[in-house]
Amino acid sequence: MTSAMEIYQLLPKTNCKKCDESTCMAFAVALLSRTKQCTECPPLMEEEKYIDSRQKLETILKPLEGAEETGLIIHEELCSGCGNCVVACPVNVANDPYGSGKGFGPTNGKVIFRVENGKVKAANIEECRRFGKDRILCRACIDPCPTEAIEFV
Amino acid sequence: MTEPITWTCTGCALLCEDIQVFIKDNRVEKVEHACLKGKARVYRCKHTAISTVDQDEVDVNTAISQAAKILEKAKNPLLYGWSNSTSEAQVAGIELAQTLGACIDSTSSFCQGITINEIMNGSVPSCTLEDVREKADVVIYWGADPMSSHPRHLSKYSYFPRGELRQRGYEEDRTAICIDITESRTAKICKGMFFSIPPGGDAEFMRALMDGLAGRVPKLSYDFDVKRILELAAVLKKAEFGVIFVGLGLVYSIKEEFDLISEFMSTLNKFSNFFLIPMAGHFNMRGFNHNLHEKTGFIHRVAFTKNGPVPGVEYSVVEQLKHGADAVMVVGSDPLASLPLSITRRLKDIPLILVDPCSNLTSRVADVTIPCGASGIEVGGTAVRLDGRKMDISPLIRGNGLSDEMVVRRIMEEVS
Amino acid sequence: MALDVGKFIKAPEYDIKIISRRDVFQASVCEEDRFGDDCLELSALIVLDAAEMKHMGILDGANVRLASKWGSVVVRARASPREEQKGLGFMVNGPWVNALVSDETPDGIPTFKYIEAKITISKDGITGIQELLLL
Ligand code: SF4
Ligand code: SF4
Ligand code: SF4
Repeated sequence: MTSAMEIYQLLPKTNCKKCDESTCMAFAVALLSRTKQCTECPPLMEEEKYIDSRQKLETILKPLEGAEETGLIIHEELCSGCGNCVVACPVNVANDPYGSGKGFGPTNGKVIFRVENGKVKAANIEECRRFGKDRILCRACIDPCPTEAIEFV
Repeated sequence: MTEPITWTCTGCALLCEDIQVFIKDNRVEKVEHACLKGKARVYRCKHTAISTVDQDEVDVNTAISQAAKILEKAKNPLLYGWSNSTSEAQVAGIELAQTLGACIDSTSSFCQGITINEIMNGSVPSCTLEDVREKADVVIYWGADPMSSHPRHLSKYSYFPRGELRQRGYEEDRTAICIDITESRTAKICKGMFFSIPPGGDAEFMRALMDGLAGRVPKLSYDFDVKRILELAAVLKKAEFGVIFVGLGLVYSIKEEFDLISEFMSTLNKFSNFFLIPMAGHFNMRGFNHNLHEKTGFIHRVAFTKNGPVPGVEYSVVEQLKHGADAVMVVGSDPLASLPLSITRRLKDIPLILVDPCSNLTSRVADVTIPCGASGIEVGGTAVRLDGRKMDISPLIRGNGLSDEMVVRRIMEEVS
Repeated sequence: MALDVGKFIKAPEYDIKIISRRDVFQASVCEEDRFGDDCLELSALIVLDAAEMKHMGILDGANVRLASKWGSVVVRARASPREEQKGLGFMVNGPWVNALVSDETPDGIPTFKYIEAKITISKDGITGIQELLLL
């Protein structure tokens, strides 16, 4: 998962405040949550010596862009209905702590993932941690999948 | 929408008890929470079995009478299968074997029987899957790939769920380790904790780990980073509640020196707190071991003789099929698909009876086939989960045939 | 009948050890329809290390004959998406791999893993389930 630290390492680290944030670290956090964009850091955009960093940052941040819309893709043919994503997704756990959170099939309709007829189905996708104001680059459904059936684009 | 029925899945020995099945007009409409394997189980096989004698369709009574005749005439009948039947049918089968003076064996004979035996005779400590979910902080899949064999194993019990003592879930509270010869689907989830060993390298790896635990420098004949073994030993030592899931990869690799398992467990438990659970496959494999043990004191490979039940490798299904049995009744299994062809070829030469809900490879060569209701779908009863816990199985839909237990009991009536 | 010259040139043979294992997708389709094409597709299959396949001149998806002292079948060869140990081939439990397993069972357990066999490219079609019954 991309961390604010990882992003910070690629910034000028001069705390020049030209981005209107108090520190480069604060700007890194803002980048991660997509409230700010790379282009809002003038030194990074203008100065020759940051070209490499800029390119790296763009690659790192690219997947975050997709997360602005519902970019969830489930490759049904790859899904074995194992339920790993059902139990690992933080939204499932928060909205159904004693069902999905404990390894059972979901006990209410507020969850994102559930398995129907042996295949995973997604709903309430707007609750995904990849969307909204405090979005993070969550991978809690991607990494536990044994067959790479879940993808965000 | 119809109200769902809560069902216990008989797709594998995990016996997931939280499945929701929607039924309309005695037909399954939808199933929730079951994995793909469980779904296939609920929706049943496409080719259901029919009653036959000499491959000609007959009524079921004729087939049952013919089966009874074959078994009565045989000097050394073998009753085999049982892992896909409820405990009630298994008990009936054991009684029939006793009545006939037959050999009885199950698929556990060449699967997890050897591990289950160690647990049942108290040589190694075991625990329940609920213990795993609530308490386990270190789990090892050794020669096991539950993501391919028991799909909900990690999500329901062993890794992902939040447990009483593991509130923060897998990310922080649990370590999953995989020891295997290939990077399986399970190994992929264990990421940095996958230990890739050469085929047959398990015993040595076990000894090396014991060395590591005891503070000696491990020695291995194959190339392996000793530092990683020492790191693993340190993780095991620190475990509060550890569980080793024994897969067939490990069983087959160390079957000739299986005592090593109990030696390893007692060494490990000098430093830590570990339990062992066998990855039994078919839903009631372990039930057969329990039921036969209750009756005879042995878990499988038993001959009922004049002097009572006798165990022995010569009564194992493979030895009996090669030489010994002069008639075979198979219940709920497909030996032609699941046993070596070099061994099952002889089934074509001796009288063969098959009791199964589905038509399979074995039914194509059987002298008598008798259909029965599918356990857990049309027939209820009890079964024993892979960790030894007894579970109730309720039927889902009405079948129009006999249960396997009834078939066995009808045969018993005719032979005695 | 036209003379097939290729038939007389012996394709090279390689030693492999076959490991049988389980697969949830195969298990489900075979439970649904043991005689169906999907079950055959996922069972009559051997997975090998990609680099090793290249070395043996076997293309991904090609038919190969597997022969042991105990039997012989034709299955499809597939490259593993991961690197595998050299000299190993993986097959899913089922009648195809079982056609190759020895009948020697000193402890009552057949050698389902580590099956010694030879692999060659084959022009024959994949062994069907009906054929297996006749073997
Ligand atoms: S990305 Fe995270 S929050 Fe979103 S669906 Fe996946 S696990 Fe749930
Ligand atoms: S983790 Fe992957 S295979 Fe398992 S249910 Fe989710 S999508 Fe399907
Ligand atoms: S893991 Fe086993 S018991 Fe659970 S739903 Fe899947 S097949 Fe059924």
